Amino acid sequence: MSSTQSDSLEEFIPASQTELSRFMTDNAATSQKQIFPVGGRTSLSVCCASSLSGIQVCTSQLNRVIDYPVRDMTITVEAGMRIDHLNEIVSAEGQRLPVDVPQSNRATLGGIIATNTSGPKRFSYGTIRDYVIGTSAVDGSGNLFKSGGRVVKNVAGYDLKKMLVGSLGSLAIISQVSLNLRPKPETLSMVWFTFDSYQKIDRALEALTTSGTRPTAIEYCNSKAAKQIAAESRFELPCENDVICISYEGSNNEVHWQTNKIIEEWKEFSPLSAQIVDSDHATRLYNAFVEYQTSSDDPVTLKAVVLPSQMLEFVEAATELNIAVQAHAADGIVFGHLPDSASSLEDVKHILNRLKKEPSLQTGYLTIYQCESEWAEALPLFCSSPPGWSIMREMKNAFDPHQLLNSRRFAELVET
Amino acid sequence: MVEQTSQTITQKTPLLAELKKGSSDFSSLVQQLTETVGKEGVLYDAQELLVYECDGYIVDKNAPDIVVFPTSTEQVSKIVKLCNQYNVPFLARGAGTSLSGGCLPIGGGVMIVLTRMKQILEINLRDRYAIVEPGMVNLHLTNALKGTGYHYAPDPSSQGACTIGGNIATNSGGPHTLKYGVTTNHVLGLEAVLPDGSIIELGGPTAEVPGYDLHGLYVGNEGTFGICTKAIVRLTRDPESHRTMLAVFQTIADATRAISEMIAAGIIPSALEMMDQGIIEAVEEAFHFGFPLDAGAVLLIEVDGLEIALDEEVRQILKICNACNVREIQRADTPEERLLIWKSRKQAFGAIGRLSPSYCTQDGVVPRTRLPEILEFIEETSKRYGLKIVNVFHAGDGNVHPILLFDERDQEQIQKVLEASEEILEKCLELGGSVTGEHGIGVEKINFMSRIFNQTDLDAMESVRNIFNPRQICSRDKVLPPIQSDEKSTVKQSHPTRHAPH
Ligand SMILES: Cc1cc2nc3c(=O)[nH]c(=O)nc-3n(C[C@H](O)[C@H](O)[C@H](O)COP(=O)(O)OP(=O)(O)OC[C@H]3O[C@@H](n4cnc5c(N)ncnc54)[C@H](O)[C@@H]3O)c2cc1C
Ligand SMILES: Cc1cc2nc3c(=O)[nH]c(=O)nc-3n(C[C@H](O)[C@H](O)[C@H](O)COP(=O)(O)OP(=O)(O)OC[C@H]3O[C@@H](n4cnc5c(N)ncnc54)[C@H](O)[C@@H]3O)c2cc1C
Repeated sequence: MSSTQSDSLEEFIPASQTELSRFMTDNAATSQKQIFPVGGRTSLSVCCASSLSGIQVCTSQLNRVIDYPVRDMTITVEAGMRIDHLNEIVSAEGQRLPVDVPQSNRATLGGIIATNTSGPKRFSYGTIRDYVIGTSAVDGSGNLFKSGGRVVKNVAGYDLKKMLVGSLGSLAIISQVSLNLRPKPETLSMVWFTFDSYQKIDRALEALTTSGTRPTAIEYCNSKAAKQIAAESRFELPCENDVICISYEGSNNEVHWQTNKIIEEWKEFSPLSAQIVDSDHATRLYNAFVEYQTSSDDPVTLKAVVLPSQMLEFVEAATELNIAVQAHAADGIVFGHLPDSASSLEDVKHILNRLKKEPSLQTGYLTIYQCESEWAEALPLFCSSPPGWSIMREMKNAFDPHQLLNSRRFAELVET
Repeated sequence: MVEQTSQTITQKTPLLAELKKGSSDFSSLVQQLTETVGKEGVLYDAQELLVYECDGYIVDKNAPDIVVFPTSTEQVSKIVKLCNQYNVPFLARGAGTSLSGGCLPIGGGVMIVLTRMKQILEINLRDRYAIVEPGMVNLHLTNALKGTGYHYAPDPSSQGACTIGGNIATNSGGPHTLKYGVTTNHVLGLEAVLPDGSIIELGGPTAEVPGYDLHGLYVGNEGTFGICTKAIVRLTRDPESHRTMLAVFQTIADATRAISEMIAAGIIPSALEMMDQGIIEAVEEAFHFGFPLDAGAVLLIEVDGLEIALDEEVRQILKICNACNVREIQRADTPEERLLIWKSRKQAFGAIGRLSPSYCTQDGVVPRTRLPEILEFIEETSKRYGLKIVNVFHAGDGNVHPILLFDERDQEQIQKVLEASEEILEKCLELGGSVTGEHGIGVEKINFMSRIFNQTDLDAMESVRNIFNPRQICSRDKVLPPIQSDEKSTVKQSHPTRHAPH
């Protein structure tokens, strides 16, 4: 355990769950300081007002493997474990957690659960919620509570572990997690297509719903984003036009069959180009897609969730506003990086106001998860109240009655 | 977590009224319910109510005072508001196939049966979801999707009867859980009438909604968070092809070793179901599939995916089975043969009726590699109690379903069933597992909750229930152990001799 002071934020690094629980109990009973859980600190600037004071509770020492019964394909680890460390351990046994995590060399398991991080392969594998089979966490009053267990199937009691997914550290600090793992596939391959019109892209995407192939990810990006992604992957790829990049995983045999098949199937939509990215380069390209959504050189990064059938409509509007766009096409999840020209808060608000009027957002959501820190106060994370907001508030009150856990963040999540 | 202790919650909880037949409250509630749903939508005749005194869990019984059949969300909301006005408990019922007593109306009151709300409201293939009413029978959704290239993946063995609302309330699993997950992995959003009568939406048709995963939290609440009136469920692409096999083993030990080896080798079949000798006998007698009666165990193995990949996968499976002394492997070469193999699995429960007047299906889970130990323990328990126990279960998930056969007219046997069940479940916990993989806690397993969870865990669960259902007016005394208090009514025994001592 160590405790340091920097600016207005002290830091506490618990060495065990019990220590964490004791610390939180004491804090709730005495000083009632604001608590900010931190994992890999990859995204602490996200919509967080700059003037915070309180204590950062850092999970960096909660990073041990508790139990890894390899042949059961489950693992229990502490929540501060870095994702690349976790990947290394399970990969040595031919297994994996099939969730994409940007900056996995820093991001932690607790952090990705709290932010519900996901990436391209959510299309075929689901998200972290589908792999968490048990959690322990400490609430705002210091209560250490668990949910679920270590077996892959279990319905004993309420599914409190689900409640922690996407909770942004506002209900409890996640301290230990049990995960269901999957076998690592033999190979990964991608096919990069470019198109010259939205109509063709739309027809091609629609045809994917009945394709003979089974993609693991379907990424779409406009030319602006495609250039950055291709450059990042250090691989020569056509990017003058919008791109759909489809990935396949599995045995060499099935992946080979599918990449050829999709090129055949899509001939009728006249792509400008179709290029198979073999497995040597595919991993690099795939990683560039995973990282792109959180690459943070831009003034604002936004995320929209719309119905997949309305994704292109939203993308068209965003592209017109000079936003670089990447989308998990079949999930309707769109990431946009605003242009450098959006240099003032007024510019940003102007762009956002135009986007918010998009009809596709009537059944969808716009969130802002990265911006210059001085704008954070003016740009709440969620641009509208999510369904069940009143229940969310009650849950916040029940698990953090003194409003100590990431409270400013939570209260300011929703635009009023 | 709420600051209140359990004690203060109980003190604040007002006593729910007991509906006395013939009282003025009873008549006016019946009248108002009738105005809400029509005469044909209300039952209160004692004889008719008997159907609703239990579900698939027959050990405890108690009839509701009134049964109503709403046809819309608005009607459900009105019924719930009336129950609040009259201060009587209520609960939802789908098809009543619950095996843990989820539909047991503790304290009587009003039972809201959702089976008339069974429409498909929307099927959207491009966005891969369907919106259905809660009373829709699971299999009917599958049937409606036939030919579209999509299906709804959760397929409990009871899918011909159970409802989507019941599946959501219990987070049902089934034979395809191993590869495709349980109900919670396939629910995108829902509409519910909360226990105060208000209507709420959680989640939605988009891939995610910001904030806490409330629909995830709702799934598996066992009817205690209000009544689900609409569900938005994910649709899954049909696999291009299947390979279905029956692997016959001389011993249970060989069969479980094969399961463990398959998982360890990174093979995830779409189904991996086991039937032991007792079940083989029953199924064979009922349907004459031609199973060898002297086999120790049979594994139903199905892999699915792209045609091009399947033969290789089958080869690997055969290799593993051979290394585990498989006696023979029957492969389904035609769709008819595949259906026949599946029929043997899905109708196994029905076949048990031939073995015994009553049976109790248990639902323990162990880590997959501990299957041999738990099965051995079950066999030993069966001998020790002189009870016949047969096994048919989702082996790939480590989810065992020992079926204890008994005669419910024999009090001594009931007692043995309860004690043997308890020992088996204890053993599951000891092996690092759980006491329920898919049937839920209900009333049946409520005493196990404090063995699995400590008081802080239970308090956390209770504070969540209090957000949805602060007065416990909706499906009371389920899931969480009741707080010790004079105010709580206990199960009224229609058949006191069948009472299960908890
Ligand atoms: C609001 C938000 C949404 C995001 N959405 C996505 C997305 O959709 N896709 C994507 O790829 N990336 C997303 N990210 C970015 C990034 O991938 C994740 O934040 C990162 O993986 C989290 O890991 P970390 O350990 O670096 O967390 P940190 O940056 O340290 O913390 C991030 C958040 O998680 C909380 N937190 C951290 N550890 C714990 C813990 N143990 N218990 C409870 N709370 C904890 C923190 O309080 C903070 O709110 C998002 C980030 C934020 C803040
Ligand atoms: C032969 C047989 C095989 C089975 N196989 C499986 C299996 O493979 N996997 C599995 O998981 N289960 C299985 N079950 C158990 C049972 O079928 C499931 O739990 C099923 O989901 C219950 O659905 P139901 O419509 O019958 O619900 P019911 O029995 O009517 O109700 C179950 C619970 O859900 C609540 N509920 C019902 N509808 C609603 C609603 N609309 N809103 C809120 N709460 C509601 C009830 O209050 C109750 O607590 C089996 C049962 C039998 C008899």
